[in-house]
Amino acid sequence: MFAEKVIELLKEAERNPVTIDPFNDDKIRQILEEMQTLFRMNMNDANATTENKSLWTTVQVRHSALERNKRCLLAYLYSRMAKIKTLRWEFGAILPADVRELLSDDEYEWFTKYSMNLASYMRSLGQDIGYNGIDLTENLKPPKSLYIEVLCMADYGKLELEDGDVILLKKNSRHFLPTSECQTLIRQGILKQIS
Amino acid sequence: MENSGYLSISDILVTNEKIPCKFLHDLPKMGFLDPSASEDDLKAGTNVEIPLWLAESLHSRRPPLVAVDLPKIYKDSYREILNADACTVDMHKLSQYFYEFGCYIAKHDIKGEVSNTLINTFRQRFRMLLSASVSTDSVGAIQPLSVSERLQAAAAANTEKALSEWLQRGDSILTTANMVANHRKRKRAEMEMH
Repeated sequence: MFAEKVIELLKEAERNPVTIDPFNDDKIRQILEEMQTLFRMNMNDANATTENKSLWTTVQVRHSALERNKRCLLAYLYSRMAKIKTLRWEFGAILPADVRELLSDDEYEWFTKYSMNLASYMRSLGQDIGYNGIDLTENLKPPKSLYIEVLCMADYGKLELEDGDVILLKKNSRHFLPTSECQTLIRQGILKQIS
Repeated sequence: MENSGYLSISDILVTNEKIPCKFLHDLPKMGFLDPSASEDDLKAGTNVEIPLWLAESLHSRRPPLVAVDLPKIYKDSYREILNADACTVDMHKLSQYFYEFGCYIAKHDIKGEVSNTLINTFRQRFRMLLSASVSTDSVGAIQPLSVSERLQAAAAANTEKALSEWLQRGDSILTTANMVANHRKRKRAEMEMH
């Protein structure tokens, strides 16, 4: 049957709607091969239709299968693109190595470009009224207090605060920090707010 | 819109469901479409179940290559069950994409009965959906729901949870981003497996 490999690919992607899977280039290669075969068979049969008119119907069936394969591949890439966008907003501009290896080279290039576009857009915001940009990935929830108490979830290392103090973020240590300085770390899962 | 988009994965999975069709022309070399046939060619007049995407595409050709028939779940016998009491039906087993698939099928139903059944079914099952979204026994309540019903139940449960949190605290603590948290969880699960 036609276009079965590509459905396997999409079902795999659909099983994990919230995280990104490794780029499945092996399966994509197989699908492209299937499409090549279909295309070649169609070329032969289309040339032979002068003698045998009834071949047209077969050509049309194969053509539908080709279009279907194309649609599914595009949908796969598109759904990954939406996830890669989310990566930028949730992990930040620099991806951890274990996330980076899930993307193909082309996807990583797209990520870098998207990241740069977003950064230059955020820098341009409010320039006409004398500010130099605003980080849109911050303050996703209205801040309720200037300082919050946080618990450190991972060994992160040193963190320099805006007032010049350096603190050491070690696993299971507790800190009382300005909200503005730790909210990115909270989103990245290194700190956890405790109330 | 989400469901009819060219790039929508859920629409692709819906159009992968099988539908019975009758071929109106001979198809040379396409014998493999019919699992019971032994010849290389598919003869006009053969009845075969093919995926919806292929049927739609062949039906829209001039002249149409296939005549589309109704899948059995949308036929009289099942329609009677659905009209009598739709809540007894386990959609997950019977037809995972009942509503979405039905929207495609309704176009091929001249009498227009399929579309009525769809609305009727949803109207009857709505209460079931509502109770599934507030139920604590989530596995048992969610089991008989179709894919889109499950999504709606999950969305309703999330909204309910967010509302009650907001009512209690009036304040929300900062949390880890969704994808980051899920990535961690998965990695931990993989580590434990090895």
